[in-house]
Amino acid sequence: MKRRSFLKGTLATGAAAVAVNAGLLTPTTVLAEWNTKAFTAKTADDAISAVYGASTATASGDIQLKAPAIAENGAVTPVTVDATGIDGVESIAILASKNPIPLVCEYTFAATALGYVSTRIKMGSTMNIIAIVKAGGKLLKAEQEVKVTIGGCGG
Amino acid sequence: MSIKIRMRGKSAGGVAEVKALIKHPMESGVRMDKKTGKPFPAKFIDTVVVTINGETAIDSQWSGAVSANPYVAVKVKANAGDEIALSVSDNTGEKGTHSLKLK
Repeated sequence: MKRRSFLKGTLATGAAAVAVNAGLLTPTTVLAEWNTKAFTAKTADDAISAVYGASTATASGDIQLKAPAIAENGAVTPVTVDATGIDGVESIAILASKNPIPLVCEYTFAATALGYVSTRIKMGSTMNIIAIVKAGGKLLKAEQEVKVTIGGCGG
Repeated sequence: MSIKIRMRGKSAGGVAEVKALIKHPMESGVRMDKKTGKPFPAKFIDTVVVTINGETAIDSQWSGAVSANPYVAVKVKANAGDEIALSVSDNTGEKGTHSLKLK
């Protein structure tokens, strides 16, 4: 009974959401084109260069990078990058050093967003997760090794 | 067909944490189909945008290395009554969007 009313409720909000979205949200700013160069770069340094124009980043203890020491399932590795203690965060990028394509995702923040992202990524094997934070025009980074027993690339 | 999204958002002290779960296979194009010896075609969300009352707050680009049925949580400066929308599109042109009014 409870499940049915929950589902009904979900469907109702779904319908409302569709109505809102029929007009489709047009972003007020022109969004960047998908960065093919960065997403085909085969090394983390090349990917970081392709995103930020430089690959030298300074290690920073102000970036809280949370990832498991050992990933139970490499296909779903939780990663949180919390740079809320840093002023003027413009962008966060997450890379997996030994993935065939190291760049996993990149977030650009307007002033109305905080420098924080939490998500789940695929890791093929034991490797480092690298978080790059661009703040105040500088590149900062935090890195952590994650041991992977079952790889996340499906083979 | 549009991409389905479930989302929750709670505002406190001028900051809202918005959590979303997106239904999508996130096929990277690297995974091999053992029957055919060829990779499964790439189908993954490549763009995710978060807006507050229609203004872009976060613009992000993803690869196929984000996990299937992606979970993402972000934090924005927003208050109760603000409308947060999450819009996604994938490399095949499929799109999805969901919005909520913060409590």
